[in-house]
Amino acid sequence: MSERRAPTEREPSESGAVATERPWNVVVWNDPVTPMAVVVVVFRRIFGYPEAKCTHLMLTVHHEGRAVVWSGGRERAQSYCVKLQVAGLQSTLEQDA
Amino acid sequence: MAARLFARRRDGRVEVRLSDEGRAFVAATAREVAAAEGDPGHAWGAGLHAPIDPGRDADDPLAILSRQSDLASNAELVLATLAEATLSDAEAWAWFCTLQVALRSIAVANGLLDDDAWNARGGSLVEHVQTLQALLFELAKVL
Repeated sequence: MSERRAPTEREPSESGAVATERPWNVVVWNDPVTPMAVVVVVFRRIFGYPEAKCTHLMLTVHHEGRAVVWSGGRERAQSYCVKLQVAGLQSTLEQDA
Repeated sequence: MAARLFARRRDGRVEVRLSDEGRAFVAATAREVAAAEGDPGHAWGAGLHAPIDPGRDADDPLAILSRQSDLASNAELVLATLAEATLSDAEAWAWFCTLQVALRSIAVANGLLDDDAWNARGGSLVEHVQTLQALLFELAKVL
């Protein structure tokens, strides 16, 4: 059995540096019917952020139509996305540009 | 001063002060969420099954399964605790999530996706949405 295998994104490159995957963003989208207080509570309970950060993110969603509320590994991002959807917020995943 | 519909007690439980009519409204909402989760052709389907990762051809089946399971569990927990005088924190969170899922599903099903569409609507739909919003606002105070 051959020891050769395809290189992965996390293997050392020729220069010796370790290439890491670009982070995944959890995006929450605005909608005109969800009360602002609801969005703040959902952010606090799901991410454990302080009240001020939750309010700031909620206002970003409200004014800009969307906000990146968490960035990191794909599995955790997907898990957060599911939790947000179960809590009734429109959320999607996207990989950082 | 208006009476509060939910109150956090010193022992951590959430007291439900809804009238029979209010509880019936929550029951109907939870039944609709449970029914929509089990019926792919339900009018709320688009609101319940929004894509998690629009950049891929298909979403991760495990993520979809997790979402479906959690949505159904929350709605069932609401139906199982409708007559309770007080709720645990997890039960109150299930009420909150189920009501918010219903609110968003109604918005998507009726095209209320921007302020203009919302402002153009009236009648019983707006009253229904405002009742959901009021319940959510009251629950948010104790969560």
